[in-house]
Amino acid sequence: MAEDKGVKQLATPERQAAAAEQTLKYVGRNLPLHDAVAKATGKIQYTGDMNFPGMLQAKILFSPLAHARIKKIDASAALALPGVAAVFSHENTPQTLYNSQVWFAGQEARADERLFHDTVRFVGDRVAAVVATDKKIAAKALGLIKVEYEELPALFDPEEALTENAVEIHPGGSPFFEKEFGCGNPSETFKQAELIVEDRVETPKIHHAAMETHVCIAVPDHSGKITVYTPCQILYSVRLVVAEVLGLPYNKVRILKTPMGGSFGGKQEVTIEPLAAFFAQATGKPVKIEYNRQESIISTRTRTRTIGYVRTAVDQNGKILAREVKTIVDTGAYTSNGAIVSMAMGKKLFRLYRIENQVYRVQAVHTNTPVAGAARGYGSPQIHAITEINLDHVANRLGLDPVEFRLRNLVHPYDEDLSGGPSLGNARIIDCVEEGAKLFRWHERRTQAEAGRSTNGRFRRGVGMACATHSNGYFGAFQDFTTMTLRMLEDGSMILNSGIHELGCGTVTTMKQIIAEVLDINPDRIEAPEGDTETSPYDVGSQASRVTHICGAGALKAARKVKEIFRREASKILGCEPEDVVMRSEIVWSKHKPEEKMTYGEMVRLIQQKNRTEIIATETYQAADNPGSYGANFVEVEVDTLTGLVRVIDLLAVHDVGKAINPGFVKGQIYGGVQMGIGLALSEDLQIDPKSGKAKGDSFARYHLINAPDMPSVEVLLIEKGGDLGPFGAKSIGEIATCPTAPAVVNAVNHALGTNLTTLPLTPERILAALNE
Amino acid sequence: MKLEFKVNGKTYELDVDPESRLLDVLREELGLTGAKEGCGEGECGACTVIMDGLAVNSCLVLAAQARGKEILTVEGLAENGELDRLQQAFIDNGAIQCGYCTPGMLMSAKALFLRNPHPSETEIRTALAGNLCRCTGYVNIINAVKDAAEGAV
Ligand code: FES
Ligand code: FES
Repeated sequence: MAEDKGVKQLATPERQAAAAEQTLKYVGRNLPLHDAVAKATGKIQYTGDMNFPGMLQAKILFSPLAHARIKKIDASAALALPGVAAVFSHENTPQTLYNSQVWFAGQEARADERLFHDTVRFVGDRVAAVVATDKKIAAKALGLIKVEYEELPALFDPEEALTENAVEIHPGGSPFFEKEFGCGNPSETFKQAELIVEDRVETPKIHHAAMETHVCIAVPDHSGKITVYTPCQILYSVRLVVAEVLGLPYNKVRILKTPMGGSFGGKQEVTIEPLAAFFAQATGKPVKIEYNRQESIISTRTRTRTIGYVRTAVDQNGKILAREVKTIVDTGAYTSNGAIVSMAMGKKLFRLYRIENQVYRVQAVHTNTPVAGAARGYGSPQIHAITEINLDHVANRLGLDPVEFRLRNLVHPYDEDLSGGPSLGNARIIDCVEEGAKLFRWHERRTQAEAGRSTNGRFRRGVGMACATHSNGYFGAFQDFTTMTLRMLEDGSMILNSGIHELGCGTVTTMKQIIAEVLDINPDRIEAPEGDTETSPYDVGSQASRVTHICGAGALKAARKVKEIFRREASKILGCEPEDVVMRSEIVWSKHKPEEKMTYGEMVRLIQQKNRTEIIATETYQAADNPGSYGANFVEVEVDTLTGLVRVIDLLAVHDVGKAINPGFVKGQIYGGVQMGIGLALSEDLQIDPKSGKAKGDSFARYHLINAPDMPSVEVLLIEKGGDLGPFGAKSIGEIATCPTAPAVVNAVNHALGTNLTTLPLTPERILAALNE
Repeated sequence: MKLEFKVNGKTYELDVDPESRLLDVLREELGLTGAKEGCGEGECGACTVIMDGLAVNSCLVLAAQARGKEILTVEGLAENGELDRLQQAFIDNGAIQCGYCTPGMLMSAKALFLRNPHPSETEIRTALAGNLCRCTGYVNIINAVKDAAEGAV
């Protein structure tokens, strides 16, 4: 096993003390993913691999126009094609309005989406659908549908959306959401500031690019129940939207989480499930919808395009006195999570640096472009790009080293959130930056890069860094809890019944490791199936970086309860006190009679026979904290001034994760997050054409993901100091992993070139243009 | 069109549409769903299989082009229930997350080994250039291929 490749663990006194106090058997170990063998052999069945008897296939007709009213749809030729079961459009589908991101009943959100509209609002909006016996027929039938449009003026630029007389995409126009919050007195402070540095930073619409495109299957049954098989992130969100659109009681909609071929927020919102469910209900047959790559890129969700105006006031010592951040968040043609992501990004501003006077203003707008929504980091990559690029600019103007400048301002453990959010908990960003700078040889490499510049004409080296923070669940914002049922069976094996979702990050194995640690049982003897809304207890879902911190704490609580019940029942059998019952490696005995040992399974059988009960516990864990997860990236780049191409040479990612339940999984998240972050910095962009509204980057040929040769070597350093309420002190990693990367890369490029590039991605064209200035 | 070819050591004779893609034949006719469609245009490598010893994007190969060929898919990698050392190395190195790119990655790496059993890291990266992964940043995938090449597994 590649135990600790690329990772150095800090042997701090605190760590050593913690280790001495408690030796962990399963937590902290690199167990493999529970379904790794099935994935390595091609045996695992993803949704696209599944078929049901009599299953039909649906294909969607997408709008070629950015904004138009549908005058007429003639589906007669399509319907006449043998094999076509039905054609759907706004004329024969429910006109219920919904919002694709609501995840709990009663959640307030602007509902402006329908299965099909009579007005299309972006290139890629849904016009109609064909349901047929196979995909080929469905595709052929799509070409036979005649649609007459009346074109409407369209709007693609988020700043134009805020001008007077801008095109109104929904009643009331833009901004459809506005908010301001902050702390202290920034406007007064700005008046007295010695130095104010301003920037406009822009981040692009990006595609999540899960290798599995969007897919789901809906199956009707004789009782009117619809079962949906979907690789989703929030089962209960899918149930909510499907039930509302179909007008069914919640218990007549069953959602099953299928193996996930990648999501990154892209499958968090409810996009194709209500369509498939409705088609299944209407045709009485199972229906599969499987998008191709282009359809997934333009017609599901993207990251919000975000424009940030940031002003930072500092004194000569490099103390940040005040900051003002204004963002314009472009959520595309429908509202989706526009308001929530707008708020989420603003909150991060108050959790990374000690800034006593700060204000955040946001305006969320609609444009005739693909719909934005949840995307790994939920606004964090955007806001950190905006502020961390600006901070390097500030440091530059002050003539201060960027690391030194940040260290003077970063938050300390247990600082409060000055905007009123939950306490930051054991925030260890200073450790990240100090330890990271040492390991990366920051000062040396920065100086080297600067010295090399005069001798090195065409290629220029730059060294940059950036910091970031992210959340651990919803505590402080929305209700956050999880319920889990844990049982021990008659052979000593166990089943965890919960609403968890495996996204490929290792959630299932993580839960097993936590339970195994408490009960001293081999993790392979625990089953932890993914959620099923008909049988699993409620869970908030795989979102908000909550799973390890909250669900993990839920698994810990359930395991402790099972242990308590087991010892209580076993004590009756063994004729001792519960605290005298010893459980070790699946063997149980009374400490008074160590010679009388039996397996956990044998004991469960005796408990059933003699005590007439079973070993089962249902526990609800209510989130009670929301500490910050922190990360810093250090990176060196080489820019080719002739071509404008940037090569990332190597990168160090330092993360404050509290405790790594499975360090291999934690590192896996970081490596993937870095890949995504480099893409955001350098190459990924949907590139909406400002005239037609078409996405130029609508295929992998024109949308550039970082591939294996482009990927730098990545070193990881984990800071594990616990201190918060997660299981064994664990904090989140999945989203924070990608947050510091893009600004670190941009800062390194600006260092290499002496530029102040602030529009992402830094394409060769943009770099060459800056060099020619 | 009649298609006679060998897949994972077994000879098949099928009646297929000459226009159909090798990927569809494998997935739909033979039920070998290991190869995935991630893009359908030769850009992601999720559909990679080995044809006569070379890695190909099966989404770009027409059934007619597979006539008389020998195809190896991820399902044929393990022999007699024993995992190929690449598969074991992927599992041990944490090279698999969502797993959607995995079959394609394995087949590209296998094809590399067939022509170059001891590749350098640069050669590994180049061999995997056409296989996209969104989960792993390739780090553990490259480590796994290196391990398998060195016989560490
Ligand atoms: S599906 Fe064949 S290369 Fe992407
Ligand atoms: S493991 Fe998910 S795409 Fe590679």
